Amino acid sequence: MSFPLVENRAQPGLGAGFWTVTAILTVLSIAAIIFWVTFPLEKYLPAAIVTARQVDFLFRFMAASGSALYIFVGGYLVYFTIAFRAKPSDGPDAIGLQIHDNRKLEFWWTVIPSLFVILLSVVSVRIWYEIMLEPQNGLVVEAIGHQFYFSFRYPQINGEVTDEMHLPLNVPVTLNLTSADVIHGFWVPAMRLKNDTVPGLVTTIKFTPRLAGRYPIICTQFCGVLHSEMDKQYLVIEPKPAFDKWFAMWQQKNARASNALPAAGGAAIALQSGNAPAGKQLFAQKCTACHKVAPFNQVLVGPGLLGVLHDSAHPNLVNGQPATPQNVAAILQNGYTGSMGAMPNATANGLSATDIANLVAYLDTLK
Amino acid sequence: MAVAAVHAGGIADHIHPEPQGFVRRYVFSLDHKIIGIQYIITAFVFFMLSGLLAEAIRTQLLNANGGFIAPDTYNEVYSVHGSAMVWLVIIPLLTGGFGNLVFPLQIGARDVAFPWLNMLSFWIFPVAGLMLFSSFLMGAPTAGWMEYPPVSLQGAAGTSMWAAAIFLVGVSSTMTGINFVVTILKMRAPGMTFTRMPLFCWGQFATAPLLMIATTALAAALAALFIERQFGVPFYDPTKGGSPVMWQHMFWFYSHPAVYIMILPAFGIISEVLPTFARKPIFGYKLIAFSSMAIALAGFMVWAHHMFTSGLAPFLQLPFMILTFAIGVPTGIKIFSWTATLFGGKIHYTTAMLFAIGFVGLFTLGGITGIFLAAIPFDLHVHGTYFVVGHLHYVLVGGSMMAVFAGMYYWFPKMSGRLLNETLGKWHFWLFFIGFNGTFIPMHWLGVLGMPREVATYDPQFQFWNRFESVFSYLMAFAILIFFANVLWSIRNGKRSGPNPWGARTLEWQIPSPPHYYNFKHIPTVYGLPYDFSQPLPYKGLEEELTDSPPPVGVGAH
Repeated sequence: MSFPLVENRAQPGLGAGFWTVTAILTVLSIAAIIFWVTFPLEKYLPAAIVTARQVDFLFRFMAASGSALYIFVGGYLVYFTIAFRAKPSDGPDAIGLQIHDNRKLEFWWTVIPSLFVILLSVVSVRIWYEIMLEPQNGLVVEAIGHQFYFSFRYPQINGEVTDEMHLPLNVPVTLNLTSADVIHGFWVPAMRLKNDTVPGLVTTIKFTPRLAGRYPIICTQFCGVLHSEMDKQYLVIEPKPAFDKWFAMWQQKNARASNALPAAGGAAIALQSGNAPAGKQLFAQKCTACHKVAPFNQVLVGPGLLGVLHDSAHPNLVNGQPATPQNVAAILQNGYTGSMGAMPNATANGLSATDIANLVAYLDTLK
Repeated sequence: MAVAAVHAGGIADHIHPEPQGFVRRYVFSLDHKIIGIQYIITAFVFFMLSGLLAEAIRTQLLNANGGFIAPDTYNEVYSVHGSAMVWLVIIPLLTGGFGNLVFPLQIGARDVAFPWLNMLSFWIFPVAGLMLFSSFLMGAPTAGWMEYPPVSLQGAAGTSMWAAAIFLVGVSSTMTGINFVVTILKMRAPGMTFTRMPLFCWGQFATAPLLMIATTALAAALAALFIERQFGVPFYDPTKGGSPVMWQHMFWFYSHPAVYIMILPAFGIISEVLPTFARKPIFGYKLIAFSSMAIALAGFMVWAHHMFTSGLAPFLQLPFMILTFAIGVPTGIKIFSWTATLFGGKIHYTTAMLFAIGFVGLFTLGGITGIFLAAIPFDLHVHGTYFVVGHLHYVLVGGSMMAVFAGMYYWFPKMSGRLLNETLGKWHFWLFFIGFNGTFIPMHWLGVLGMPREVATYDPQFQFWNRFESVFSYLMAFAILIFFANVLWSIRNGKRSGPNPWGARTLEWQIPSPPHYYNFKHIPTVYGLPYDFSQPLPYKGLEEELTDSPPPVGVGAH
């Protein structure tokens, strides 16, 4: 080849074709934005909780801006590819415009995306806050992942609910998630919300149901050979009376089961009279084989007990009851055996009513 | 005496004698070009095997209730498919394969800095690959390519084999990374300053430190998994005091940079192919080069965006989200620059160019859905669904694999001295492009509407789109067969290419195809960027390369 080659000496002016294409792409982008803004997503996937609609808003926002951006990039790509093809008449040595860069253009296509990133961060953080700031003191429910189902625990229901998860409409919910075996993912598509259930760790999601219905609960983290089957359970959101009826039904059902447990000791426990130093000695003798004085996730056989009576993030007891002094005393006395684990009863531990009161007093000092 | 004479020119023309035996020449070769071709061939064999696994996955998903293979087998199939495609196909192709083959030529070096290390790192790779596939014999891993414990602790014996195999691939990657960093830092031809380096070399230069540093985290995680599975030392089992989330941190501390290991060299390939066939300088050379380095650096600080549902402290998640958004900026700059490179060009529709343009279109889509996934509130909805599967295939197949094909059509003459058939190439491109989009686009809405990933059976309401995807995936497989047929046919019957069939301007095209064992008779001197088509080539000392003159006799031959 000899130099200089046949250079396309035309000015790099943009030309009528460019502006026509730009106009078409602008129209298409606006159409795409209108499409996403008006897209009836809830027709295909109901929004079961309050924040689901905000997540949908974020989705629309990103889909609209993403589509507009993509239409411009893809549109120019196709247009340039066609408009600037080498024609046979150009000859083999023809070269394109020798443009190396354009400071102004590069400045703007760095600054505009940066501004967009800031805007998107603000929008995302705002909606993230909405999800995080759902009320703290809601109805506390637990979902526990198992191979291959979820079980649910409610205050005032002994043991576990194993078929469906029911929640009352418009009542804030604090859902604690943990697992009895491997990591599962607790996802309700209609809630636009999920979290993993991690063994040895309690994670919390909070939300307020807004739409009655029956929504599938799906496991999104591979958990073993039957992982695919873990989409057969439902979250039922229903008005308060229907929920109360369901709740009473499970209370009765599980009460019958728990009555069969051996009731040791039997004497009424006077918790006020508990002596914490005595309880500390007892704890060292009777409890440290299985429990550490450490955060919950430091598991020996059972969980660490630091803050068990004070930390609101601490999960419910192994029998599903919230960790109150009375419930701790009851489980020390009666024991429990279930799929989450077991706690020996007072006979097995050799604990008197006074011992239990002392232990509870000691646990109360662990903050 | 001879030494003094050569050094008087300032550059040591230090040429080792070419080995003559078949084994030293083609099997245990020290030549970076042969090693590169070995990498490419081996990786394509694994590509074929894991492609078959992919078609088994799609066949299973034709029906909502499965039925093609048992669920346990299905889990093995997609786990090995994912692991093999990442570690045995894309990473080796882009680093060990095209990296070895091309960048030493582009910087004007005779070989990489440590040829023995290079040979060793190649030979570990097929061994590790065979180990990975042999895990089928003892019950392959089932928990996907991520193998999260505790479920991977329950996996069959092959899970330990998987850990050992990936560990070995990691060793190989690390050695390649060290080799490339040293080669680029120390062995550039005179005048080849960093700001005159071709962008493919910048891609490798940004990737090599990732290979070197990130892979060590994965190695530690894999060693711990292996030890826990085989000897019961609890690292991850929470009932014995381990932490399953620790695996996720260490795995993603590697695997997020690994995403860039799989895309930065691809960016490099595209940045070579586009200017060559548009007959234009690459637009915004410096921004493209520096944005690669920015992406590589930031890539180390965003791993937890894979873990928004894993139970991290909520406020810890925000910086990861915002930093991930921020990576969109340098990535966007590249996409805009490539698009602008086409403006005012004289575009030649070679197959390599089609794949490069297709790359820009498909990778952009994958990049945009990546931004979707980085937004925590939306990620809490689609994490672990087919939306993620769609996104990752857009960046890894629509991105990395399209770039690999562009590179294959572009550099095949440099490997073999023959051109790939362009007619078959265009069939390959169009069928692949259509098949790819048909396979992976519906996954996005399936994920949003509620289809989880890694399932052998699914809700019957999703059956139509899954069948649609499967049909298109067969089209994609057919396109790949065309590609293999093209390579096998062209290697014997392809048109002879001559040294520079594309009129390209980087150094590797100024020497014969395939190059001599010693690459350059005399190391050239470089005076400028390679991309200015209106100027003479910015190299001196290449006059004898295409003549029959013998190379200088080896100095200090040993």
